[in-house]
Amino acid sequence: MKLTERQSDALSELINIAFARTGAALSELTGHRVVLNPPEVAVYRTEELRPALANFVPGDVASIHQVFAGPVAGDALLLLNYAGAVHLTDLLTDGHKPSVYLDESAREVLTEVGNILLNACLGMFGNLLNVHVTFSVPRLHLETLDELIESITTGKTEMHYALVIYTAFQIRDSSVKGFLVIVLSVDSLDRLIHEVDVWEAQQSQ
Amino acid sequence: MTTTSNETLVNAAVLHWMHDLAAQGIITTDNALNVVEWNHWMVEHTGRRAYEVTGKNLLDLFPELIVRRLDRNYKWALEGQVRVLSQALHGYLIAMPVVSAEHGYAQMQQAVRISPVTHDGQIIGTLTIIEDVTERVAREAELQAQVEARSRLLSSEKLARNEAERANRLKDEFLATISHELRNPLNAILGWSHMLRLGKLTPPNVERAVETIYRNAKSQAQLVSDLLDVSRIISGKLRLDVRQVDLISIVDAAIDSIRPAAEAKSIRLQTMLDPAAGLISGDADRLQQIVWNLLTNAVKFTSKGGRIQVKVQRVDSHVEIVVSDSGVGINKEFLPYVFDRFRQADASITRTQGGLGLGLSIVHQLVDLHGGSVSVNSEGEGKGATFTISLPFVGVVGTQKETEPANAVPSDEIVSLEGLPSLQGLKVLAVDDEADTRELIREVLKECGAEVILSRSAAEALEALEQHKPDILISDLGMPDEDGYSLITKIRALPSERGGHIPAAALTAYARSEDRMRVLRSGFQFHLPKPVDSAELVTVVASLAGRAYKSQADKLQ
Repeated sequence: MKLTERQSDALSELINIAFARTGAALSELTGHRVVLNPPEVAVYRTEELRPALANFVPGDVASIHQVFAGPVAGDALLLLNYAGAVHLTDLLTDGHKPSVYLDESAREVLTEVGNILLNACLGMFGNLLNVHVTFSVPRLHLETLDELIESITTGKTEMHYALVIYTAFQIRDSSVKGFLVIVLSVDSLDRLIHEVDVWEAQQSQ
Repeated sequence: MTTTSNETLVNAAVLHWMHDLAAQGIITTDNALNVVEWNHWMVEHTGRRAYEVTGKNLLDLFPELIVRRLDRNYKWALEGQVRVLSQALHGYLIAMPVVSAEHGYAQMQQAVRISPVTHDGQIIGTLTIIEDVTERVAREAELQAQVEARSRLLSSEKLARNEAERANRLKDEFLATISHELRNPLNAILGWSHMLRLGKLTPPNVERAVETIYRNAKSQAQLVSDLLDVSRIISGKLRLDVRQVDLISIVDAAIDSIRPAAEAKSIRLQTMLDPAAGLISGDADRLQQIVWNLLTNAVKFTSKGGRIQVKVQRVDSHVEIVVSDSGVGINKEFLPYVFDRFRQADASITRTQGGLGLGLSIVHQLVDLHGGSVSVNSEGEGKGATFTISLPFVGVVGTQKETEPANAVPSDEIVSLEGLPSLQGLKVLAVDDEADTRELIREVLKECGAEVILSRSAAEALEALEQHKPDILISDLGMPDEDGYSLITKIRALPSERGGHIPAAALTAYARSEDRMRVLRSGFQFHLPKPVDSAELVTVVASLAGRAYKSQADKLQ
């Protein structure tokens, strides 16, 4: 399944609204201007996810994972490579010196950041689809990409798609790259894309 | 009772226990944010009983939530979102006292989760879980500080190691340079003295040989004297003999001494000496050394037909000595290191200029000791260099008579022994552990008519004193077993008829004022710096012969 250019543009635009909210929320929290780069969106089948992400996240991956349920259901994840995760928490918390590892407090901060971002994106989708989604408590995992992909694909019998959104956090002259991955069933994705088409049509009217 | 109702009861009991025993704060509200549950932990840490808060609106109970804009999280929870509040970004949700004040926090530090409570797909309220993370956060900060301290230590150790390696490298380079510099004159000395020994040189060549040997020995003596200066400066042992001195006469003397060298290279010497600027307080010998070093340097680095300008002028409360030349100049990168020890811009073995690279470092240190400053400026290679020394001006205090005239600068003229006082009939005892020095003293004194007895040690000297009854004693200070100080102390303890009052001069390589003081205090009348200058030696012996030693007791009489 491929997105048309118009669909991809429309989806990017919608996600960018959520990103703007996330940036504003993080700026308010940290007292530093936080901007998320305009997203680039692509759709992959979950089996294709590994090669698609392997180029971008080498080594251990820090992921903030939230399951959402409702008429549209799936998994939402923010992925950062380990060094990026350490750097991002330092930037957000005025870390005096560069940290070398993620302590409990740093993991909490990452969880909150992921929570804010995922809530903003999924909340925006919920509004668009005019459905009510509920979320699980966000959890932070540190694991290899393989372990991560396994955890989001096991137990899913029907075909799933992953919406991969590439962005970067810009804070205090630094940039930390990250991915947002939203895993959806075919139905959910169809529904989402349909609503995106409708929204896009409304916008162009 | 049905199974279902049994399960419900069990669930309710478990829930009750969990609420009661939980190590976290648990608050549940309805969808209007009125408190439904307030667990034991909350009671314990807020001091508010469950009955005091139940049924009341959470935002009314804690208006600070609105002030700190945390109420939004409840709004979002009621929309279905789960919210995470991290300690690092929020500190805490509800202000509670810390359990232990040890960690430096005024409020309990909290990690918080706020989530919706749903029933049949409907959001019926909120659930808040508060965890006390104060101790954990404090421990993390400690760990972080330890990691930082360790990495700071590592980097400072690395820095120190680099610095030590650099210093070591400089010393190695310096050793290579010094060996080279000391060997050069030595080659000439050895070569020409060998020819002299063969005795086959024509008279003009003999003169040339002696001249060359003398010149090279002098240059070596200068190197050694520079080295001694540096070692004294490094060990903080250099003392200035400060008096009021006339800078102009010092600069004049220094200029006179380098004039022959400048003329040999057709270098023009221009002077602009303001006589009114001259009176300063300082060590005449050292000031002369400073100017002489700068001038020698200028001559060395200025090519044939160039120009050197020396200016002495008064600038506010300072006197400036400015030495500028039209020489090779100094590369911008090297400028900051000009005054570093052992540094020369060209450290390669094939460099065109000799020298140890100590002269300017000595200048810097000596100027420092005088409370002044020295700076260097150069427009770059080939564009000459200007050295400016600034010394505090004293003004006219006391009379001109008190000022010390500049000593004659050592010149390359050979002082002939003719015209020196006769030492006829004098018996001189010379003590030195070095055969060459002993021989030299004997030759020089014999030349002037003295009878010379030589001793190799203090013990030998004491014997010779009794045996030969000499008129004058010349003794080295640094000798193995027993030094010159010990010798003179023993002699001075002897009665006059056994030589206790013999006039004595000390010979030493330690030629500074503090050494001089110690020499005189210990019982010598004179102090002769090594290497021995023949004319000075004869003059001192003659002068000692003219006056017998008077002990303190004699003086009091």
